[in-house]
Amino acid sequence: MRLLLAAATPEGRIFGLDAQTLISAGIILFNVCLLAVVLSLILYKPVRKFLKKRADGIREQLETSKNDMARANELKALYEEKLTETDAERIRILEQAQTHAAERRRKLMETAENEIAAMKAQAAADIQAERVRADEEMRVQMIEVASLMAEKFVALSLDAQTHNRIFEESMAELEHAL
Amino acid sequence: MDFNNKVLWVLNIFGVEVWITQTILSTWIIMLVLIILAVVVRLTLRKWKQIPSGFQNVVELLVESFDGIVKSAAGEKHMGLGNWFFTVFAFVFFSNIVGIFGLRPPTADWATTFALAMATFILIQVMGIRHRKGKYLKSFFEPSFIFFPLNLIGELARPISLSFRLFGNVLAGMILTSLIYSAPIYLRFAIPAVLHVYFDLFSGIVQTYIFCVLSLTFIGIAATPGNET
Repeated sequence: MRLLLAAATPEGRIFGLDAQTLISAGIILFNVCLLAVVLSLILYKPVRKFLKKRADGIREQLETSKNDMARANELKALYEEKLTETDAERIRILEQAQTHAAERRRKLMETAENEIAAMKAQAAADIQAERVRADEEMRVQMIEVASLMAEKFVALSLDAQTHNRIFEESMAELEHAL
Repeated sequence: MDFNNKVLWVLNIFGVEVWITQTILSTWIIMLVLIILAVVVRLTLRKWKQIPSGFQNVVELLVESFDGIVKSAAGEKHMGLGNWFFTVFAFVFFSNIVGIFGLRPPTADWATTFALAMATFILIQVMGIRHRKGKYLKSFFEPSFIFFPLNLIGELARPISLSFRLFGNVLAGMILTSLIYSAPIYLRFAIPAVLHVYFDLFSGIVQTYIFCVLSLTFIGIAATPGNET
């Protein structure tokens, strides 16, 4: 390869259709191809890869958000369904409790009424028994009183008239007392 | 005033004379700048955040916009072309605006635009045959075999028109700007700046976009079943 200095080089030109133009075109084409390879490796592909990666990331995030949204909607629907079920359950339990309470109240009332009736019956029986006992006591006391009176009459040697009067008075008192 | 693409060195490789011109030197400088920028971006990539800001925003916008252009012009199944056209876009853009920094724009040399257009031409044929196979070759003979010469000329005209469109625009801008620089001193205030903004920046961006979108559209047409060449 021989290199000639500029002073010895041919004149330049604006335009020419000869072998030198083709050689220059070949050199430039080679240069541009080389530049394309270098720029592609250093710049274009890495930048494009970065952009693609970012776009994929954004797409993935959107997809994840969409899935999360769908999941949230599902959970919301499930929650609302559970809420409705719970509400229905609440109403059912409340109604059941009310029914149960009413039944229990009725039973308690019935028991209380029965107990009251029993107590009343017992009280009436007790009163009756007490009355019988009092009558008996009174009768005994009357006999005792009569005996005492008789003792008194005997002691005072009452005449028949007095005796009758006292007896009548005693009987009258007794009747009055009864 | 010299608009010529100067020959800086001449190499003799296996008896073949190879001219190293200003265009090739500018191409190497642009390559170096682009590779340095790419390395800087690559080094900062590890620190990139999920929510972009500042420089990261710019790079992301470029890559995503370019993917969008490739997708809309050539279709989703040709997204693999993104790497190539991203490079072509960056290279052509820097080639168009490099005049601002005093370098000769490589796209002001037909060899550059022809090389890029030939790459597009090769891609058109490869993608057409790869995706449509025999139908693509058959399309050269449609609607009748007598149209083959016309179809062939039409096909060959694409890289030629692509290359000359870009070459002509950039060369014209460069010549006009250079003319102003060689004009009397009172014309050199503000006017060169306006011309640089228009020819280098505005026209540079537009021509870059047109070159890439047209290339992608041609490839998309060739690779999509049912399309005529």
